[in-house]
Amino acid sequence: MRFNWEYFFETLPLIASKLNVTLSLTLISAFFSLVIGIMFALISYYNVKGLSQLLRVWVSFIRGTPVATQLFFFYYGMANISSIILNMSPTVAVAVIMSLNMGAFVSESIRGALISVDEGQREAAMSLGMSGWQMTTRIVIPQAVRVALPPLFNDLINLFKMSSLAFLVGVRDVMGAAKIESTQTFLFFECYACVMVIYWIITLMLTFVQRRLETRCNAIY
Amino acid sequence: MIEVRNLSKTFGESTEVLKDISFRINKNDVVAVLGPSGTGKSTMLRCLNYLCVPTTGTIRIGDVTVDAAHHTKAEVRNLRRQSAMVFQSYNLFKNKTAKENVMEALVTVQKKPKAEAEEIALKFLKKVGMLDRQDFYPSKMSGGQQQRVGIARALAVNPNVLLFDEPTSALDPELVGEVLNTIKQLAEEETTMILVTHEIRFARNVANRILFMDGGRIAADGTPEEIIDDPQNPRLRQFLNFVSK
Repeated sequence: MRFNWEYFFETLPLIASKLNVTLSLTLISAFFSLVIGIMFALISYYNVKGLSQLLRVWVSFIRGTPVATQLFFFYYGMANISSIILNMSPTVAVAVIMSLNMGAFVSESIRGALISVDEGQREAAMSLGMSGWQMTTRIVIPQAVRVALPPLFNDLINLFKMSSLAFLVGVRDVMGAAKIESTQTFLFFECYACVMVIYWIITLMLTFVQRRLETRCNAIY
Repeated sequence: MIEVRNLSKTFGESTEVLKDISFRINKNDVVAVLGPSGTGKSTMLRCLNYLCVPTTGTIRIGDVTVDAAHHTKAEVRNLRRQSAMVFQSYNLFKNKTAKENVMEALVTVQKKPKAEAEEIALKFLKKVGMLDRQDFYPSKMSGGQQQRVGIARALAVNPNVLLFDEPTSALDPELVGEVLNTIKQLAEEETTMILVTHEIRFARNVANRILFMDGGRIAADGTPEEIIDDPQNPRLRQFLNFVSK
């Protein structure tokens, strides 16, 4: 058995050409998981009665079950009871599950950041007569963003890798392209090496940005 | 100036921290609150601006009166604007410089234009000797410096009364002096203030009235001469013996 380098370099651009699917899945889900995450985080931060308890169960459920199972349960299972899901394109279904799943993790990252702003500063703001809104927007959020950015970037990297699940429901993303290619040539070694290299390079780039961001966040004050 | 009537605070079902406290404080009074730990000194002070919501009682500062039995958010905010608090752990806004810390309430609460707020901020930073640190973030200042900025922040809103909650308890011993000097200067200018402290000798020097709290009540109330030099209350005598040794 020898590694076919020629085939590897031939196939690499072919598989990499599907990065647009992988990246748009990642970006769209990143947006929606951020929206969900912020909403969830605020609900538990303000301890909204009933809702925050419900959320705790939801987050524990999402974190405690495999995301592939969630995808299948949603796309194949729930299609039996909902015609919307039945008629849903697999790409949309994957984006929905990625958003819901990562939303739970993002909400934890944001909640942690909000809590990290100490009670003393809140008391100081209140004692000066500032309103809750002023305190949140001028004191809490600016500090929380700095704390939240590094974990949020971790979530983004995880989301990027999670998008490889899309091939399970037939989406032709990077992973899907490799699967199709390899079943034709039986050169599994080379095809999946391509996938790994592509993911690794993008992740390295994201990590580089994360490092820079972290240093800048720490340097401000 | 300040009138507290029948103030009580119960935590949970049965932990009675404050038991039916009433007192009045006049303008220009410098009042020190002394007493053993856990007797409700800080809780009492925090009730004065509703950082701690009293169980019962009315609090009047200036011309704002709030009754614990039926208080609204607007009333509480109004009451808070009558006083300003200096905290044990400074509680400066960490995302703002010394100057911005002092300006914050002037801009957000008093709606002053930025230029005017800045002018006021610089005036008070100068007063506490922190003018040269105006652009420093709290993380770049010592505890004593942070506390002096905290005092400037409290002074800047022009409160009827300054509330000090153990302002030197979190400081390294060599930094206590600079903060006490600042407070002493304010006392000499007859700034109305209530000072919860463990610094007996300092209280003796700057206060013109001392409240001694014990078990959630005001156990003794009088001039420093009466309270510290000639204590009548047996608990007070015990306390003073204990701390001066």
